[in-house]
Amino acid sequence: MNPDVLLGLTQSTGLMVLLTTGIGVLIGLIVGMIPGLTISTGIIVVLPVTFVLPADISIALLLGLYVGGMTGGSFSAVLLNIPGTPSASATAMDGYPMAVRGEAGRALGIAITASFIGGMVSFLFLLFVAPLLANVALEFRTEDMFAVVFFGLTIICSFAAKSLIKGLLSAAIGLAIVTIGQDPVMGTQRFTFGQVNLMAGVHFLTAMIGLFAIPQLVSNLTDGGGAARRIQTRLTSVFPKLADLKTMRLPVLIGSLTGAFLGILPGAGGPIAAFISYDYARKASKQPETFGKGAVEGVAAPESANNAVTGGALIPMMTLGIPGDPVTAILIGALIVHGLAPGPLMFLERADFAYGLIFSFLWANIFNFIIALAALRVLVKVLATPRALLMPTVAVLCVIGSYALRNNFFDVYVMLFFGFIGLTMRWLDMPVVPLLLALVLGSQLEENLRVALTSSRGDISIFFTSPISLGFLTLSLLSILWSLRTARRNRRVTTRPNKETQS
Amino acid sequence: MRRRNIIAAVALIVFSLIYGALTTQLPVRSLPNTPGPPFFPWVNTAILLALSIGLLVQGLRGTNSGDNDSQPPAAATAPQRRLAAWALGAFVVYLIALPGLGFLLATTPFFAALMVLFGERRWLWVVIGSVATTTILYILFRHGFSVFLPRGILPDLIDGIFT
Repeated sequence: MNPDVLLGLTQSTGLMVLLTTGIGVLIGLIVGMIPGLTISTGIIVVLPVTFVLPADISIALLLGLYVGGMTGGSFSAVLLNIPGTPSASATAMDGYPMAVRGEAGRALGIAITASFIGGMVSFLFLLFVAPLLANVALEFRTEDMFAVVFFGLTIICSFAAKSLIKGLLSAAIGLAIVTIGQDPVMGTQRFTFGQVNLMAGVHFLTAMIGLFAIPQLVSNLTDGGGAARRIQTRLTSVFPKLADLKTMRLPVLIGSLTGAFLGILPGAGGPIAAFISYDYARKASKQPETFGKGAVEGVAAPESANNAVTGGALIPMMTLGIPGDPVTAILIGALIVHGLAPGPLMFLERADFAYGLIFSFLWANIFNFIIALAALRVLVKVLATPRALLMPTVAVLCVIGSYALRNNFFDVYVMLFFGFIGLTMRWLDMPVVPLLLALVLGSQLEENLRVALTSSRGDISIFFTSPISLGFLTLSLLSILWSLRTARRNRRVTTRPNKETQS
Repeated sequence: MRRRNIIAAVALIVFSLIYGALTTQLPVRSLPNTPGPPFFPWVNTAILLALSIGLLVQGLRGTNSGDNDSQPPAAATAPQRRLAAWALGAFVVYLIALPGLGFLLATTPFFAALMVLFGERRWLWVVIGSVATTTILYILFRHGFSVFLPRGILPDLIDGIFT
């Protein structure tokens, strides 16, 4: 066996690493199940802790939270008909009807088991595909890397389904923010206005805390408290029966493969995978008419898919340094804070750490299964936690998180500034994820673009003569066209009923 | 949403022009035919300006920009907006006071204020919740994780126990 694999396995089984993985899963389950808190918020809450912990322990904590959060979202989807996370939206369609007819325990057991299988399938994807892809990526030159990063930025289109122009504008604002500080090639100061604190640029974790947490805090005040009635039902046996396990086989297979594959594609996150696999499972079912009325397959397929996405999304993050979704964007930030740059070199220079990360993901899935099943009855009581205590705690943790990054109040003010930007963008119905992705990828984009153009003496044909670069640029174009087509189709669907109503 | 799009477009055009003006002041240090430090900001200025004008045109024409026919985000009621404004105001005051007053003295009233804004009306709970949570967070981060949260003007009471 590859010695790095063994070393990674050994690292991931350290007592502290396992313990923090378990803690991360527990926090993830709690955060995921509380409507109004997302996995991103959960990560923001634990970020200050990760700055002071060793890298392997920090990443284990964050991975546990990521995996746990995906499963936790299904708890409130089943019990409250409010998905704790967007990825659990499809689960509510059949999970809630099951709870209504007194089968909440059964639905949650199926969801947890399907999540586990989905997670394990994506772990295998991660273990076998990531090193191969990293090997290929080692051959990439700067023009190829520019094309890869550009392709990563086309994720923006999938987050801008309503208005592509607003999504692109959001990204352009992010790219403008990235240019603050030293330029990545020559180290020239740009847009710092003599401010020493701006010389290192705006740290994207600080910006991310403000962009996500402050608008969420405000929306929790303005959405009327999200008053939801919990289904009054006793959670009977949560372990799936043999008959249910048999029924779930096909939908779980569909969900796991769909989720793991879609996870690899930048931008196609948990919600998309969950809905696509739900649709496939319905088409493959012998009783499609039961979907939406509490079908076991309707819970199993999306739950396996959204957990399978997690491992898939880690593949481009680890091998190319490109985030598959907002959570992996934050993970990249956490790795950078520890001096570890995700990308093809990670498997060359820090292969032990890379494999350790992969195995931590395995333990996170195993712990998630055990903790979720064993502590389900206790965990669901968290749904009764008063927001009056929860949200102020989140607010204070945001302040601590941005301060702890560099022990500097300037970052706290930057966080608040981005909070106001986030609120303004929300008011304008402008997506913030493109801005976040631009903050993550902008510097790489500029560096690779300029180095490639410098090596070609300003000749832009360099991007079209390299087959890898040309391939990724073609993929980027297809991705944009696909998004435009989908947006146009969605628009047609939404306008048609309006016209019919008017006539 | 149309009116908001126009406001956003105008604001972004102004921003692009300022960004472009600042880019002209960047030092040009590069070899001939190779991109220097202002290259990327120039490209971005052009993109920002083009997209902002595009949004403005869509807004003025009232053509389908993809969201002109959709509803803006669910409107909050006036009391809810007031609550949000109070919370943001409290946040700003808190961050201004934090470096001077220190974490414990500044965070406790901020936490209490947010608890009230989030609907907690039992004053004993507000006092216990804000004092206890703030103290726990301070001890956890300052002494558990070595994050040097500011002590401020408070005497060395808690820290004395842990040092």
